[in-house]
Amino acid sequence: MERQEIIDGLVEILKTVRTIDQEKLKNVTEETDFIADLNTPSTEMINIAAKAEQKFGVEFEDDDIDDLGSKVKDIVDLIIRTKERE
Amino acid sequence: MQLSGRKVAVVGMGGAFPDCTDISDFSEKLFAGKSLIREWDKAVAHGKNIRSVVSGFITETEMNLEAIYSTLAEDYPETYIDKLERIPDANLSTADIGSIWSMLGSLDAIKMAGWTDGETQSENTGVIIGSGGAGHVILRSAWHNFFELGKKTRMAGSHTVDRAMVYRDAANVSCLIKNKGVCESIGSACATGLGNIGYAYRLIKFGLQDRVIAGGVEGTSLETFIGFDAMQVLSRGFSPQESSRPFDASRNGFVCSFGCGIVALEEYEMAKARGANILGVIDSYFNNSDGDGDMFYPSFAGQKRLWKGLLGDDGLKPDVVKVHGTSTPVGDAIELLSVVDVMGESGYHISAPKSQFGHMLGAAGAVEFITALLMLKEQKVLPCLNSAKLNPELEGFQKTANWAGPIKPIEAYRNLLPQQSFTKEINRVTCLNYGFGGTNSAMTVSKDA
Repeated sequence: MERQEIIDGLVEILKTVRTIDQEKLKNVTEETDFIADLNTPSTEMINIAAKAEQKFGVEFEDDDIDDLGSKVKDIVDLIIRTKERE
Repeated sequence: MQLSGRKVAVVGMGGAFPDCTDISDFSEKLFAGKSLIREWDKAVAHGKNIRSVVSGFITETEMNLEAIYSTLAEDYPETYIDKLERIPDANLSTADIGSIWSMLGSLDAIKMAGWTDGETQSENTGVIIGSGGAGHVILRSAWHNFFELGKKTRMAGSHTVDRAMVYRDAANVSCLIKNKGVCESIGSACATGLGNIGYAYRLIKFGLQDRVIAGGVEGTSLETFIGFDAMQVLSRGFSPQESSRPFDASRNGFVCSFGCGIVALEEYEMAKARGANILGVIDSYFNNSDGDGDMFYPSFAGQKRLWKGLLGDDGLKPDVVKVHGTSTPVGDAIELLSVVDVMGESGYHISAPKSQFGHMLGAAGAVEFITALLMLKEQKVLPCLNSAKLNPELEGFQKTANWAGPIKPIEAYRNLLPQQSFTKEINRVTCLNYGFGGTNSAMTVSKDA
């Protein structure tokens, strides 16, 4: 799975999170920070991770979620790493 | 013992009312003698597994809300959309349906009160709102997905705590209006609504706060309904509009309903000084317990002590007694006889608003307090709808050796129980509410002199 394909999938998830300013989703890159750039409430991060598991058919380890960074590339890396592990 | 303190005015009100668009619609329908009780499709859908199918319920659509269901957890409303954009999405994400009603009611009450942002956001402004049940709608789905479907905890998202915790309604309102004073919830079953307003009144009376947003809420929830249904205490066998019939000889249970009542309270001199429209002045509040060790059965002695505490030294009697009047066989009879024992057989009237919208549980005392304010405003008594036939015989408990109350049948008090709304001079209304556990609450509110 290509990284851009994953980013596009993540943007689709972010569109369902009503507390995120939808205008800011037009220019999401790997360097976009969920919290600093998108003002995502920290409590929504776990919801985004759970929806990513569903969308990409993976199951994250609790330790990986605990260590997850707040940039888009961090979750893209985790999805690829988890897919390879499975 | 009555303690002197500051006077407390009611300066705003709002809420959520079954089958009504807003508080004006609510008022018009009540004084027109209408019932707000309907057959509930969600109950009917369960066929023979449920006894009662009538309720004063409120749908999401009626409140201009829409549930967004999770793609991760089955049957789980992840958040709600406010189609009228009254509440920001961030606040909606932490709220169950009752908390949203509380926020909407609070915004209406503050607007009516005319408080500035500075006043609302003051250290001297509190929020005291409670609910009878927990966030059952949220908890049922979250628990089902974990325990029964074996899903990870995170599949129900990160808001099951803030959307289901005991004081979620107060917390959500506080986060929305950004007050800096007290934020708490009082829980006392079906006395919750009045209990929260009573506690808020005391905070102002004794100088701890200058303003409080106070009330009670019970969000529409079949989860809540079925608990009472199982107890066989809900009305059945009548048309929806005739199901709630306090004091009527054929009453067989209460109508489980839902709603929200919020009032804005303010220290009287401050409200007066800024030219506020004063909806009522709270004369006194008293609450106690039966002390007889019975969770459910009402206590004549407990209610008599309640009246004694409420009336205190001045003994000012009301023009209208807004009773708890649930439409249960024993509750109504004991309550009526305790009122008569204190108030006598004439010179006042009894109003039972549950006859029109059912029993809103944790919201009952607050919404019914609003009906008392409406009676003061309109100078009309709300009826005891459907109280068509009163028992001409003595109640069973009146024939026992230890009965110390009136020894006339309920029918003897027909003159106190109006079957339709009518106009009269109303200067003072007493509100009564009781709850499981033998808890009793009473408040008297007067027109501003």
